[in-house]
Amino acid sequence: MDEKERKQAIYPLSTESLQQNGKTVYYIRSVTSTIFGVSAGILGLESYYGFLFYFGGTAFVSLLMFLLLARGQPTEYFTSAKDIWTGNTLAGLSSFVLTWTLFYGLVDA
Amino acid sequence: MVTAPDLVLDPSLRDWVLFPILLVMILVGILRHYITLLLQSPPKQQDVLAIREQQSLARGASLRSNGKVIPPSSFQSRKAYLIQSFKDGIFLKDQEAFKNKDEPKAPANPLAEPGGMDQMINMLKGNMVMIVPQTLLMSWINFFFSGFILMKLPFPLTIRFKSILQSGVATRDLDVRWVSSMSWYFLNLFGLRSVYDILLGSNNSAGGGMDMAGMNPGMMAGGFQPGQDIYKLYLSEAENIELTTHEYLLEDIEDRILEKYQL
Repeated sequence: MDEKERKQAIYPLSTESLQQNGKTVYYIRSVTSTIFGVSAGILGLESYYGFLFYFGGTAFVSLLMFLLLARGQPTEYFTSAKDIWTGNTLAGLSSFVLTWTLFYGLVDA
Repeated sequence: MVTAPDLVLDPSLRDWVLFPILLVMILVGILRHYITLLLQSPPKQQDVLAIREQQSLARGASLRSNGKVIPPSSFQSRKAYLIQSFKDGIFLKDQEAFKNKDEPKAPANPLAEPGGMDQMINMLKGNMVMIVPQTLLMSWINFFFSGFILMKLPFPLTIRFKSILQSGVATRDLDVRWVSSMSWYFLNLFGLRSVYDILLGSNNSAGGGMDMAGMNPGMMAGGFQPGQDIYKLYLSEAENIELTTHEYLLEDIEDRILEKYQL
C-alpha cells in the first residue's frame, strides 16, 4: 500500500456523499447553463463571444462553488479538485446552446 | 451601424412552429419519465438460497476491499472460511447439480431462467419508451414543418452542415446559420436535459439513454449475469481472496495518535 492509498484508507470518503456532491454540482451546472443561455441570447452574442461567455460564466460559477460551497477545500468533498472546476461543463453546453438559440431568435425576430 | 436584415421571418413561424415543438418535446420528455416509472416492475422476490448464491460473491469482494479494518486473525479466519466454502460450493443454490458437475451439460440459455427473462423484458421496455416517441416526433416534424427556414443560429457553422440542417430548403447560397425546424428538434433533443433536471429532479428518465449508469441501478448493483456458470465465478473469487495481502489499518495506531496530538 503506497502513501496515497494509505491516506485514503485512514481518512475515507463516503461514496454516497461523493455522489450527492456530484449531483449538487450537476444541478448547479444545469440551472446556471440555462440562465447563461438566456442571457447570452438576450445580449445578442454571436459565435465565439457566446461560447466565451459560457466558459467565462462557468469558470465564475466554479469559483463560487469553490469558495462558498467547498470553502476552498474541494478535496474534502470530491475525490479530486478537478471535479469542481471542470465537472459537467460539457453537459451544460448543450442546454446553453438551446436556450441561447431560442432567446437569440426571439429577440432578433 | 444598422444593416438591413438579410432575411425576415414571419412571426407566426415562431408562434406556430418554434413554441409548439419546444412545448411538445418538453411534455413528451415528462410523459416518458412517468411511463418509465409506471413500466418498472418491482423487483421479484427470490428465495433465500438464490440470494445467498448471488450475494456470497459480493461478500468475497467486500472482504478483499474492506479487510484492512479487521485484525489479521479475523481476516485469516474469514479468508479460510470463504475460500473453503467457495471451493466446496456450499453457497450454490442447486446442490444436486453441483454434485453432478462433471457430467457435460448444455450451456444455460439466459431466456430459460426467470430472472434473465425479466431483465430482457425490462431492457426492451426501456428501449421502446425511448425509440417510439423519438420516431413519432421526428416524423411529425418532418411531415408538418419541413421545407422552410425556422430560425437563425447565433453561431456560424461550416458548409458541411448545410445538407443536414437545411434539408428541404431549396436555396443554394443561403448561409448555414439559417436552419430548418429539424435542427430545432435536434437542439431540443440534446439540450432539454437540464430542463428535465429542473422540472423532474436529477434522477429522471426523461432524456432517454444519455446516461446509462443512472438508468438501471438494479442491473449495475448485482454485476451478475444470468446464465453464467456461477461456480467458475466462485473459483476465481477464491483465487482473488487467496492473493489478497492483508494490511491491518490500525497497525501502528499508537504512533499515529501520538504524532497527531504532539505528545
